[in-house]
Amino acid sequence: MLADAIRSESWRLLKNRTVLSWSLIFVPLVWLAVLIGGAVIDAKVDHMADQLPPQLASARAALDLGDTLLSAAGQLANPALLAFLLIGAATVFSCDYRWETWRLITARNSRPNLIMGKVGAVKLMTLAGLVLFLAAALLGAAIKGVVLDRDLVFRFGGEETRTFGLLFLLAFVRVVQFLMLSLLTAVLTRSQLAALFVPLVVGVTQAFLVTLAPILGWSAADWQTLLLFPGAAYEALKTVILGGVPTAVLQDGVVLRAVASLALWSLVPFSLALWWFSRQDLSKE
Amino acid sequence: MTAVIETTGLTKTYGAVRALDGLSLSIPRGGVYGVLGPNGAGKSTLFRILLGLIRPTAGEVRVLGQHAGDPAVMRRIGSMIETPRFPPYMTARQVLQWLALAHGAKDAAIDAWLDRVGLTEASNRRVRGFSVGMLQRLGVAAALMTKPDLVILDEPTSGMDPPGIQEMRALIRSLADDDGVTIILASHQLLEVQRVCDRVAIFNRGTLAAEGKVSELTAAGERLRLTATPLAKIISVLGDKATLDGDAVLAAIPRAEGPALLRALIEQGVDIDEARWVGADLESVFMAETGPARTDAQVREALHAG
Repeated sequence: MLADAIRSESWRLLKNRTVLSWSLIFVPLVWLAVLIGGAVIDAKVDHMADQLPPQLASARAALDLGDTLLSAAGQLANPALLAFLLIGAATVFSCDYRWETWRLITARNSRPNLIMGKVGAVKLMTLAGLVLFLAAALLGAAIKGVVLDRDLVFRFGGEETRTFGLLFLLAFVRVVQFLMLSLLTAVLTRSQLAALFVPLVVGVTQAFLVTLAPILGWSAADWQTLLLFPGAAYEALKTVILGGVPTAVLQDGVVLRAVASLALWSLVPFSLALWWFSRQDLSKE
Repeated sequence: MTAVIETTGLTKTYGAVRALDGLSLSIPRGGVYGVLGPNGAGKSTLFRILLGLIRPTAGEVRVLGQHAGDPAVMRRIGSMIETPRFPPYMTARQVLQWLALAHGAKDAAIDAWLDRVGLTEASNRRVRGFSVGMLQRLGVAAALMTKPDLVILDEPTSGMDPPGIQEMRALIRSLADDDGVTIILASHQLLEVQRVCDRVAIFNRGTLAAEGKVSELTAAGERLRLTATPLAKIISVLGDKATLDGDAVLAAIPRAEGPALLRALIEQGVDIDEARWVGADLESVFMAETGPARTDAQVREALHAG
């Protein structure tokens, strides 16, 4: 039953090519263009590097796609990707209010399944968006290798695989957490515009306010900071995963707090949306 | 006679407005059941409660023996409430594919249903360009393709042209007669309802004004119209069962008593020019149960006031 809801929502989203283009294709394409532009600039720099001592020039010779992949995984939950995935999520969450199609599907599945079907479809879209972004990063690096006439290598051992997996999972959780605000807004307001803009406003406000946290005497690892600002929780967990010097200065228990923050910011909007939707009058679409 | 729908004291209020006011109704399994009533009588509210779109304020409602809104029951219901709307970027075929997926119906005969509602040629056109009649047809196909036990149709012929209405009538009858589906429909087209329905319920201001077989309801309003001479003789035979209607007499008698009356009148030397049953339509029953229509003068007055 839940599988039917996820399948039908995903199928419907696949038919909406405009939304898919903006949500999934646009950011990776722009990112690819940026990477290619960067490669061209690097080509100029390389031309100058010809005048460097031979040992420095040879250090620039090989291009590690493993590094590229890890670096891209660390940038997955970037504001641009969040904003454009939000277009698709807002459409999925609010389309049945907008097109007055709840009455067509409420008879075919339970209300919790209908909402979870939408969330499932959005999660699949998010996965696709993250994978496409990584693919764009790899493709951009490969093109850079060709433009700069560099060797391409792929060094990716067990440690890199673990780090990559954790970064990918963290980015996925962060994006889904952000998109749950869109779900709650769509169910409460029945408006696609609100489902699009309310999470954006909340996200921008949080990004602004977190910079003010030190004024209140809150450190980046305090409960208040992490619970109020899921973006800070994401950054803290990313720091822990990447390790190194910044990790050493983090307080004890930061992982627990950060995980709790992301879980709360995901589960509370989802549960509220589910509760409200279960008793919602769907004849007024 | 098992019931597919049973309501007891069903009430729904919107603020101070009582859309349904203690409605108790039992709709039997099988056949086509019409739900009639003027605008605001509570028909759509009842349908929305049956489909779990809204919750009643008070009262009990059981659909196919279970509580309304039970997901297992809802899957056995096909419905079309008002003019259906669909994602505009989808084609007619895609709409049915999407809804079949939503229902988990892997064996939905989509092409057969597109053909049955006359949308084969338009099957690959996006629905954003569809007329109201085409949307109605697609809505009916969407309601029926999962082989439901119970179908609820709200104004299924709204926006359709006369051939479309005729096709829809035939489709509804064949579903009830050949496939054994129970169909509940609401319509303002009383002639269509009379032609297609076996039983009807007439709602007025959220309550049940009348209910029964169409033939029984219309029979109650029947009059035998007699054009004959001398009229006085007929009136003396019928007594208070007779009323004058221009140069004719309307006899308020059961249809079964008609032949005996005619024999009696002929034996008494009355010359009968014409004898026919009149007023046996649903419209007159409807008007009698829901109150008189406004006169032309009242309509003009309302228009001027508005």
